[in-house]
Amino acid sequence: MHEGMQGPFWRAITVFRIASVGYAAVLLGTADSYARPAVGWLVIAVMALWTAAAGFAYARFTGWLLLVVDLAVTVGCLLASPFVQGTAGGSVPITATWVAGPVLAWAVRGGRRAGIAAAIVVSAADAALRDSPAAIAGNGTVLLLLAAVAVGHVSRLAKEAEEQLRNATRAEAATRERERLARGIHDSVLQVLALVQRRGQELGGDAAELGRLAGEQEAALRELIRSEPVRSEPASGHGDGLTDLATRLRRYGTARVTVTTDGTPMPLPDWYADEVAAAVGAALENVRRHCGDGTMAWVFAESDGDAITVTIRDDGQGIPDGRLQRAAAEGRMGVARSIRGRIADLGGTVDIVSTTGRGTEVELTVPARRSSWLAGPPHGPGRTA
Amino acid sequence: MVVDDHPMWRDAVARDIGEAGHDVVATAGDGHQAVRVATAVRPDVVVLDLQLPGLSGVEVARALAAFESPPKVLVLSASGEHEDVLEAVKAGASGYLIKSASRQELLDALRRTADGDAVFTPGLAGLVLGEYRRIAARPAEPDGPRLTRRETEVLRLVAKGLSYRQIAERLVLSVRTVQNHVQNTLNKLQLHNRAQLVRYAMDLGLDETPD
Repeated sequence: MHEGMQGPFWRAITVFRIASVGYAAVLLGTADSYARPAVGWLVIAVMALWTAAAGFAYARFTGWLLLVVDLAVTVGCLLASPFVQGTAGGSVPITATWVAGPVLAWAVRGGRRAGIAAAIVVSAADAALRDSPAAIAGNGTVLLLLAAVAVGHVSRLAKEAEEQLRNATRAEAATRERERLARGIHDSVLQVLALVQRRGQELGGDAAELGRLAGEQEAALRELIRSEPVRSEPASGHGDGLTDLATRLRRYGTARVTVTTDGTPMPLPDWYADEVAAAVGAALENVRRHCGDGTMAWVFAESDGDAITVTIRDDGQGIPDGRLQRAAAEGRMGVARSIRGRIADLGGTVDIVSTTGRGTEVELTVPARRSSWLAGPPHGPGRTA
Repeated sequence: MVVDDHPMWRDAVARDIGEAGHDVVATAGDGHQAVRVATAVRPDVVVLDLQLPGLSGVEVARALAAFESPPKVLVLSASGEHEDVLEAVKAGASGYLIKSASRQELLDALRRTADGDAVFTPGLAGLVLGEYRRIAARPAEPDGPRLTRRETEVLRLVAKGLSYRQIAERLVLSVRTVQNHVQNTLNKLQLHNRAQLVRYAMDLGLDETPD
């Protein structure tokens, strides 16, 4: 049953048919000079029965046989009109609007062309009823054709949309399966690297160097393949120009730099996330430059819904009091422009706390809410790293 | 007891632990086996890898937590902190360590776990913080567990990479107090999780107490 998106169409057609039967019954009831009204009621009964049968059958059976039967029954009822109406027949056969039923059905099942074909058949049968060939009921035919084209077109669009949805779902399932398998493989790789690091440490000498290298690669790989952040609602899909800040920040992870988050998704526009990540990168670069290679650093990103706070902490020797201000005064704008400038442009704040001997903490706070974001990347004087 | 699906790792860890003077009573290579063996042997501490065939590491942690006197569980993972680690901790694990930690770090973590202390990495502290935030944001749980201001402070400092001693210095507390704060955050989360599971079980009509 592929009637997923077409169900509503069929229901609408059945409703239309029921209403038409009602209308035709009213017409018959109010007509007073028909030749054989009793037969008329019989035809109405057939119409009603067929409406019910069609409603049931279209849901169950596919295939053209049903469509042909539908058209045949309808045209049959239509052609019974002169028999019922006799000379009193006017421009409206007893079936009235009910004849549009199969036209719509053909359009839904077979598209525009099938609908047009059915419309032509019905119109031809209708024209055959009339006395003079010239008096073809123009309006009726045009309306039938229009209906056929419109419904056929929409029906095809619905089918295509359904197909696309199915493909997308299948692709997503495949991706997820791949990711699951990949995770298993990654874990194996990481474990072997960790083992090498361990053994290297134990053995010492050259092996220790090898172990150290393995350890660095292990840390880098681990950061690279982090699984998605913890979610409490289903994923919103980041294909719309949004990136999770955590993904950007994880790239800074090494054996010396630990990147952690609180697991909350932090979707930001691509350029925004890049700017924040660049500021973090600048802070880490400062650590490397001023504190030597052995210093460890930690990057912690948290979000409380309104604001995202990223703290970069190192255990170096700290910045002596006043040094930052002095550097700014002397025109060396490194920290000021690359970190403070960037974050200020994003509408956030920067807080630097440093204690001699106890390291430095740089705290960046930026708004997380869509409404607070600026309209686009700010254009300003070029920034140095 | 050591549970890990990589024989090389399993043996390396078991050997390290044995050399440090502890008693390795059992090992297991997949989830179902782990639960079976643990039921029979009743270890005090279980070192549990999260990536397991059969039953997942998280589910093994849940099963262990349902024992009458549950063992302390130290969770190991190769790929760093993520959702599974948080789930395992909520289910009752008392700590987490990354597999690439040094031998010394492993033994320290083991000792602390055996003593009943929580073993937190910065990443785990961050995830726990986030979990409390998420619970606070859910309107359906107005009486969920909450962090005190002190606990939030301590967790944030752990997430930023400070050692317990450094935190104790900064906040002018004893190291023991800092450890207790961290432990409390874990306990509250685990209690809440257990209560939720019980409520869920009752909703399903299974209201026998597990043993």
